[in-house]
Amino acid sequence: MNQLFDFDYMFRSFPEILRQAPVTLLISVGSMAIGLVIGLITALLKIYKIPVLSWIATFYVSFTRGTPLLVQIYLSYYGIPKILAFMNIGLNIGQVPSIVFIYVAYSLNVGAYLSESIRSAIQAIDKGQVEDAYSVGMSKVQSMFRIIIPQAVTIALPNFGNSFIGLMKDTSLAFIIGVVEIMAQAKIVGARSLRFFEVYINSAIIYWVICLIMERVLYWLEKKTRKHLET
Amino acid sequence: MIDIIDLHKAFKKNKVLKGVNLHVDPGEVVIIIGPSGSGKSTMLRCINYLERPNRGIIRVDDLKVDARNVHSKQIVALRNKTAMVFQHYNLFKNKTVVENVMEGLIVAQKMDKKLAYDTGVSYLEKVGLLDKLNEYPAKLSGGQKQRVGIARALALNPKVILFDEPTSALDPELVGEVLEVMKDVAKEGMTMIVVTHEISFAREVADHVYFMDDGIFVEDGKPSELINSPREERTRRFLSRVTLRVT
Ligand SMILES: Nc1ncnc2c1ncn2[C@@H]1O[C@H](COP(=O)(O)OP(=O)(O)OP(=O)(O)O)[C@@H](O)[C@H]1O
Ligand SMILES: [Mg+2]
Repeated sequence: MNQLFDFDYMFRSFPEILRQAPVTLLISVGSMAIGLVIGLITALLKIYKIPVLSWIATFYVSFTRGTPLLVQIYLSYYGIPKILAFMNIGLNIGQVPSIVFIYVAYSLNVGAYLSESIRSAIQAIDKGQVEDAYSVGMSKVQSMFRIIIPQAVTIALPNFGNSFIGLMKDTSLAFIIGVVEIMAQAKIVGARSLRFFEVYINSAIIYWVICLIMERVLYWLEKKTRKHLET
Repeated sequence: MIDIIDLHKAFKKNKVLKGVNLHVDPGEVVIIIGPSGSGKSTMLRCINYLERPNRGIIRVDDLKVDARNVHSKQIVALRNKTAMVFQHYNLFKNKTVVENVMEGLIVAQKMDKKLAYDTGVSYLEKVGLLDKLNEYPAKLSGGQKQRVGIARALALNPKVILFDEPTSALDPELVGEVLEVMKDVAKEGMTMIVVTHEISFAREVADHVYFMDDGIFVEDGKPSELINSPREERTRRFLSRVTLRVT
């Protein structure tokens, strides 16, 4: 028990930590999906300069990018119950699982970053294609969703990938409000055996492998969506 | 039938169109020539409201749009009755050749997919691109892209096709193939308004030629009259410049 590094313990505790990997993945994928919707809406509000709403969008992006995620998680955790209590909708806040606050914080966080990628990608599509779409009788919304956004996705995909991988790693902060993902599980297991180094090595390996898999998937997606750019 | 009545358009303080009038009968090919910056593109783009005129009436077929009182429904209707071929062959880059032709049919005209595909194929055959159906625009030459643009315009079955210098951005050796296709289109009775510097094309194909300078039509006439014996000094000067450049 007093050896410097216990390989055997490391291998034995690995499955126990891996068991919480789905929670990490779920937070990542779920927040990314919601974040994409938020990011798209935010980007469109800014592009079309919708009065009032575009100012709110600018404030939201600036605030989110200018404050630490850790602070945002706390704001979500302590702030949402207060807002709900203020609105008095009779929901028992004690029963809201912590993971909900995590989804809120992470979706809003990644949404702000994604909105900037989406905005610059949409603005990179040449105006000629929009006129083209109008001239064949398509409406603004139709040309946005059928012509511009599909091409913008191709352009923004590498950025989306970076945001997604960053988000996945950031989920390691979720333990601070009691969500048991990979990191929290490592802490729990480590506290039992006091072999913290071994369990954290395990969690590092798990994060790294997830990241490698994500990179492969993204690479494949990028290749698939760039088909129309080949000359 | 197409009518443009007293069309005015300014960009901020810059008055570009200063009262343009034009009448085009069905099946007619009208060609517009004029120096750079005179407002030719702006006029064409006002016809389908890519630019919004400040004043004037556009009539296409039974649809009359008055700039003083326009509904967005009218603009969509106008765009459904017209088609445009651009100088810089704007094709949808994320769509294949045949999808480019189908897109307007499916989305704007609500045509059934299968029928849109067949329609697309038949027009692409007409412009000689049957072997490129499933290519993306990035793989085409300028001339081929422009022919897709023409096929797409034709497939929409418009009352008029507006051409804005369709050959000016092309390498010289590709100009011929596009002009040939345009000649075929004209022969089949399509109504066309064409902005071009190709004087010999105008001579051969046009029913009527207009010379635009500084936001108005200075003079117009049969191609033989206007090109061979222009009345106005400005027209003469312009023609001697372009013909010099061509030969
Ligand atoms: N979107 C715009 N905003 C501001 N000014 C514009 C815009 N489009 C055109 N103009 C101005 O309108 C004038 C006429 O331009 P237009 O493109 O209609 O000329 P043109 O006759 O088509 O010239 P060319 O032969 O070079 O194509 C020019 O002075 C141009 O700078
Ligand atoms: Mg022009």
